Amino acid sequence: MGWDLVLLMVVPAVAGVACWWAPVSVGRAIGLTSGVLTFVLAVLLVPSGHAEALGSWLRVDPLSVVFLVAIGFLYPLTMAFAVGYLHPAGDPDAVARYHRRVLAGLNLFCWAMVVAPLMNSLALLWVAIEVTTVISALLVAVDDTPGATEAAWKYVLIASMGLGIALFATIVVYYAGSTVLGNGYELFIPQLLAHARHFPSQAVRLAFVLAVLGFGTKVGFVPVHTWLPDAHSEAPTPVSALLSGALLAMSFYAVLRYFQVAVRTLGGTFPRDVLLAFGIASLVLAALSLSAQRDLKRLLAYSSIEHMGILAIGMSFAAPIAVAGVLLQVLAHAAAKGTAFFGAGSIVRRFGTKDMARIRGGIAALPWSGPLFVLAILGLSAMPPFGIFRSEFQIVEGGLSDPQDAVVAVLVVLVVLAFAGLSWFSTRTMFSPSSGQTAVARGEPSAWIVGAMAVGIVALAVLGVHPPGQLSQLLSRAASELGAPR
Amino acid sequence: MTHVGVPSTYAAVAEALAVLVLLSEFAMLRAPLSRSQVHLYSFQSLVVTGLAAFVAADRHVPGLYAIAGISLVLKVVVIPAIVLRLLRDARVELVPSHRLGVASMVLLALAAAVFGLFVVGSMKVHSTSLPTPALALATAAVLVSFLLVILRSDVVSQAVGFFSLENGVSVASLVVAAGLPLIVEVAFFFDLLVAVVVFGVLMRVHHARTQTLSTTVLDRLRG
Amino acid sequence: MLGGPQLDPIVIQALQVLTIVVFAPFVSGAISHLEARLQGRRGPRILQPYYDLAKLFRKETLLPTDAGWVFVLGPVVAFVCYLTVPLLIPVLTTYPLPLGYMGDILGGGFILALGGFSVALAAAETDAPYAQLGSSRAMTFGGLIEPSILFITFTVALVTTTDLPYFEAAAARASTADALRPAHLLAALAFFLVVLNDTGRIPVETHSGTLEFGMIDEGRTLEHSGPLLALLTWGSAMKQLVLYVILINVFSAPWGLAGSRELGNVLVAVPIFLGKALGVGAIFAVIDNSFSKLRLFKITEFMAGAFLLAVLAVLVLFVGGG
Repeated sequence: MGWDLVLLMVVPAVAGVACWWAPVSVGRAIGLTSGVLTFVLAVLLVPSGHAEALGSWLRVDPLSVVFLVAIGFLYPLTMAFAVGYLHPAGDPDAVARYHRRVLAGLNLFCWAMVVAPLMNSLALLWVAIEVTTVISALLVAVDDTPGATEAAWKYVLIASMGLGIALFATIVVYYAGSTVLGNGYELFIPQLLAHARHFPSQAVRLAFVLAVLGFGTKVGFVPVHTWLPDAHSEAPTPVSALLSGALLAMSFYAVLRYFQVAVRTLGGTFPRDVLLAFGIASLVLAALSLSAQRDLKRLLAYSSIEHMGILAIGMSFAAPIAVAGVLLQVLAHAAAKGTAFFGAGSIVRRFGTKDMARIRGGIAALPWSGPLFVLAILGLSAMPPFGIFRSEFQIVEGGLSDPQDAVVAVLVVLVVLAFAGLSWFSTRTMFSPSSGQTAVARGEPSAWIVGAMAVGIVALAVLGVHPPGQLSQLLSRAASELGAPR
Repeated sequence: MTHVGVPSTYAAVAEALAVLVLLSEFAMLRAPLSRSQVHLYSFQSLVVTGLAAFVAADRHVPGLYAIAGISLVLKVVVIPAIVLRLLRDARVELVPSHRLGVASMVLLALAAAVFGLFVVGSMKVHSTSLPTPALALATAAVLVSFLLVILRSDVVSQAVGFFSLENGVSVASLVVAAGLPLIVEVAFFFDLLVAVVVFGVLMRVHHARTQTLSTTVLDRLRG
Repeated sequence: MLGGPQLDPIVIQALQVLTIVVFAPFVSGAISHLEARLQGRRGPRILQPYYDLAKLFRKETLLPTDAGWVFVLGPVVAFVCYLTVPLLIPVLTTYPLPLGYMGDILGGGFILALGGFSVALAAAETDAPYAQLGSSRAMTFGGLIEPSILFITFTVALVTTTDLPYFEAAAARASTADALRPAHLLAALAFFLVVLNDTGRIPVETHSGTLEFGMIDEGRTLEHSGPLLALLTWGSAMKQLVLYVILINVFSAPWGLAGSRELGNVLVAVPIFLGKALGVGAIFAVIDNSFSKLRLFKITEFMAGAFLLAVLAVLVLFVGGG
């Protein structure tokens, strides 16, 4: 019983270690295999939605399965993209070493992110998320450029401080629980949820605020987002894709766990108001910053902040449909942002720069990944028929039925503003004809990149047009576990 | 002659130790030499270890002895040794890194500490292991460690700020969660160690790249 | 317990003042002797300050041309102030003497400050730049250390619900818990720093230097001579001892004081007190030799440190009786 969870925990770790030793080509294959296997294992969990293993230290419920699927989807895609993307120049030994490092790092990074939702104890969830910080910080620094070093330092410092606060939150929630459960309990989530009604409210309130602030540092909530654009823009592109598509969502998962405890103790109002405040702040800043970017990957990074803000606002609506929309958005964002970063990687490879002022005529230069990139940007901007359209529609619908008309109005205005910024830049880089200076040869850097992007866009469209029935059921079950009446 | 809630000897000593944690945080904030900051961190960890052992002995929580032991090895010896070694390799003694005058920094940190003390002091937390003022003091230490990271611009201060943040949280956990399961505590320690290694690697990379331990050069990425 | 006749409280009160007056130069002499020894010099005799005073009293008084009556009166007022403070504080006894209620810690602080102020005023009467510099600096740093003193007073007031020095001492004697409580320790430490500052010690000031630029307290007396200088020197020794009394008998070691009015007890309290004062003096001498003087503009850091400790003492009390 529960072998699938154990496998999920073991496979990517083994792959990571193996990649460190194996030759590069073998490493690539190992990474791809492990990625596909992880995705399959995650998908197999969708129908039942529940599993336990290792004396209930490992456990999944529908909520964690949603996040597992998001990560499991991005894992193999990123490994495929990495095959096409990583082509450093230099002497062969150094290149091989670089390759092995990145491949091992990517696998271990995915491993840490897969492990986090498996953790049944809030304390170990914190540990898993801290491990993701540690591994991803090294991955951000792996290019060893001045920018990468700077970004990695800021990232590890700010994220660690944030997680320090989250550790505080863990301890306070332990205290809250110990008033009912006695000393020495293991902080298991079902335990906490079952008794949360009797916890002291003041302590839970403190724990929740600390958790939102602490884990929110890694989610990228404004004002603790400052590391995010730097890390996303300076990291190697496969790492950026994972950071943005999976890691932010993973940290949001931790926030949701505290949300679950908090709504049971405090009722819905207080936790929702806290999330609403962070959500609005993130959305406002991201929507305004999107129109002031020069760097392609920074543009996408701010778009991630925007989406995290939307998730937080969606959680602040009491209607279950909004919550289901939030969870759908987690999946759709993973697919869309991953694809967009793959496209950005393709563009960067072709044009040799991230500076959007020097990228022109992308659609002509990149016959396949160019259009796919445009589609991914449209998906990110919540255009139908893509998944984010559906999820944001659900969120808005939930908000209107809550009813929170004013918040919905703000949300819609800001999303439109963000859309304007995002589409302005991507249109300019992709469709304006290239002048003499910036002209580059036509052609794709790699078929692997195109393949990964195509899979991402198809998935995004499927989520938008007609999500599989079992997935929809999973989402609504998770939403009903999360939701609480106002 | 009435007294304002005279504490027991146990509580008085425990609180005095918690005060010492806070004071060493202040000392780190103002210490001019990176080396002395690391020594202060080591000292602070020793106080935290002592506090853990003290609680373990007085409140009969044997699990805490294990915690104290691990903390003694890791935080008092290993982590400072790693950072000191890095400093020796870097051959940089004095990193001018105060963003404000020392007196202003101390006053600012004092304001932060007051904030922490009053916020947590107003919460009615009941603890069986340590007097609750220790929780307020730990929170104040955490806030001061934030200022250490913000107001000092060199890698050692910032790293030590993070490590000592963890010390503050440790004291807080002794107050409210002395019975935290051992496996969880061990996980925390393991994690701390990994974080230290990453900080170490990045410090080394930073120094190799910029030939300085100051972070004022890290201002390329904006917007 | 040692017996003997019961003494009139007034007599004990007078004895307190006398102890300070008579032994202040002795303590100063002992400290400078020890300092010299720590530096590997033979140093002056321990009784040297008495000889100095005797010599100064025999000398004529020279007045600067522009100096008025304030120049003459300043040292006298200061001396009187330092004579008054020992009435208020527990020099020899655990129980308050009749005049002990005349003023609280703040009152004592005011009188000490008045003494400092009159010395500064006298120095400002002259045209001499160094004396003026000393007096302006002394007033500046005196003002900067004032908040710390205030917060120490608050701590005492919160612990004992009065601000009479006798009660703080009694509280510390009453139980180890009370002596070990962080508020008490912090206040004691803060007061230690205040004493360092007020007695013109390293790291604030070079106690025995001759370099006028670094002078603060010392600079003020440069223009005085003869008996006036004697009064100033003696007064500053007394001030030092008074501060030691507060540090020892109020904050850190209020043990060994006379608990009754019997002559024997009171007389034994004198050498015990001197022993403690010399112990504290030794600590100051060691500090003098182990640290370097702060640059003038860095002294605010020192003040901030003292302030931090004093404020924390009050805060710890506020958050939960610490």
